[in-house]
Amino acid sequence: MTTTTSPAYYARRFNDYMSELWRRRDFVWFLARGNIKARNASTFLGLVWWVLNPLLLGLVYFFIFGIIFPTERDIAYLLSGIFVFHFSSQAMSGGANSILQNSKLLVNIRFPRLILPIAFLLEATFGFLASLVVFYLIVIPFGSPLPGVEFLLLGLVLPLQILFNIGLAAATARLAVPFRDINNLIPYLNRIWLYTSPIIWPLARLEALSETSQSLLRLNPMFPIIAVYRTALLGYPLEQADLVAMVAWCVVVGVVGIAMFIKYEGRMVRYL
Amino acid sequence: MSLPAIKVENVSVRFRPFVDRRPTLRRSLATFRHKETQLVEALKGVSFEVQKGEAFGIVGQNGAGKSTLLRCIARTLRPDEGRIVVRGRMSTLLQLGVGFNAELSGSRNIYLGGLVAGLNKKQVDERYDDIVAYSELGDAIYRPMKTYSSGMFSRLAFAVAMHLDPEILLLDEVLAVGDEGFKEKSMATMHELLSRSGSIVFVSHAVRQLAEFCDRAAWLDRGELVAIGDSEDVVDQYRAEVRKRRQEMRAQGIG
Repeated sequence: MTTTTSPAYYARRFNDYMSELWRRRDFVWFLARGNIKARNASTFLGLVWWVLNPLLLGLVYFFIFGIIFPTERDIAYLLSGIFVFHFSSQAMSGGANSILQNSKLLVNIRFPRLILPIAFLLEATFGFLASLVVFYLIVIPFGSPLPGVEFLLLGLVLPLQILFNIGLAAATARLAVPFRDINNLIPYLNRIWLYTSPIIWPLARLEALSETSQSLLRLNPMFPIIAVYRTALLGYPLEQADLVAMVAWCVVVGVVGIAMFIKYEGRMVRYL
Repeated sequence: MSLPAIKVENVSVRFRPFVDRRPTLRRSLATFRHKETQLVEALKGVSFEVQKGEAFGIVGQNGAGKSTLLRCIARTLRPDEGRIVVRGRMSTLLQLGVGFNAELSGSRNIYLGGLVAGLNKKQVDERYDDIVAYSELGDAIYRPMKTYSSGMFSRLAFAVAMHLDPEILLLDEVLAVGDEGFKEKSMATMHELLSRSGSIVFVSHAVRQLAEFCDRAAWLDRGELVAIGDSEDVVDQYRAEVRKRRQEMRAQGIG
């Protein structure tokens, strides 16, 4: 018998958990589609809000910053950042809710709890893909640059960002289910995250800052994620360091968040 | 004799109400300062077995730990101490509406309920027509469940639960709902499950009905198992005790 602290034990538990998740993939798929349908039924615009929310946010910043700093009017730069950011910030705010809204399900039936944040993420992924279509519909008339073969990078960065988002949603759920206060903090964390990411200010602005502030800002995982997306979506030049940092961040946040969540889920029902 | 369907061994569950019930940062900081917090023992060293083919009832007053015990058996709540062994496929109807999403139609909720219980889509497809027929909902099956009455809700929940081919059924206060006709039908279905050597664990405040339906029963009082045995005997003891407590309260001028 292996001890309950050996790495082999954890590896096996993780493996069992993942195969149970895979066995229940129909459930994940159905839950995501069910949420979309429920959303469509309860709000007039339904799924359109997935695109409209980040779009409105983008327009607000476009007008504010376009008027205050009229030199920085690069709508493709702004919107690509906003849409990518919104995908992850949704994960942070939706992770805990996916658990709390399904408390009845959790109390009654045993199943891998990670299904709930994953189904939420699946739903958000549809919204994100739709927003990418809208993105091109807006930026092409503005004469923005288009990617060539770089577009293929999307096949790498999108799955990795989804992993990152699942980790983020799982970690938030792990913390916010027992400590509901955290739910109140999330909008502010998201706001800070938005302002410290290269979205509403141009990258060139970084150079005005000290070395230390620059490297501190670059610790933000959104930095390399957005950089790779801008290469994939707009053909911006890509720095290898960004690519490596993006992969590292996504894998680490994904695995750590999921592990935190699985370790905790046996006690989750006590907090509902 | 074959192995029991459910074996509950010395199970204890403790809640720290100060921390566990909606703990906030402030509260957990407060309990960090005063390490000693009041523990509420929801279950204290409970042990019993449920055999195959047996209907087992659990009685007790509000807060006795009945629902906590069912959650432990359903394995949604991990006990602090003790062990529970369950042999067989389990179907649970613990809180009405189980995995249902009220915004969706009854039809889509059949899929939701089946999938959450571990079936895949194809397996639900195969059972779909039988479930609709059993629930007797007719065209209402296409309406969102938020338009359902509580009786319709529970009919669908019961229909789904019984079509998961359970070997073990956990029921918490579900038989009280539904009209007479459906109640009879659900009883017949459960007797059929028992005759196939399935097991049923049944929690209800309708103790007369429980005594009639169950072979054996257990009486939980403030987390402790005070009696276990023939369901008629246990229910008689329980009712006598409840009557006595009520008289005492009246004597003290409270009741």
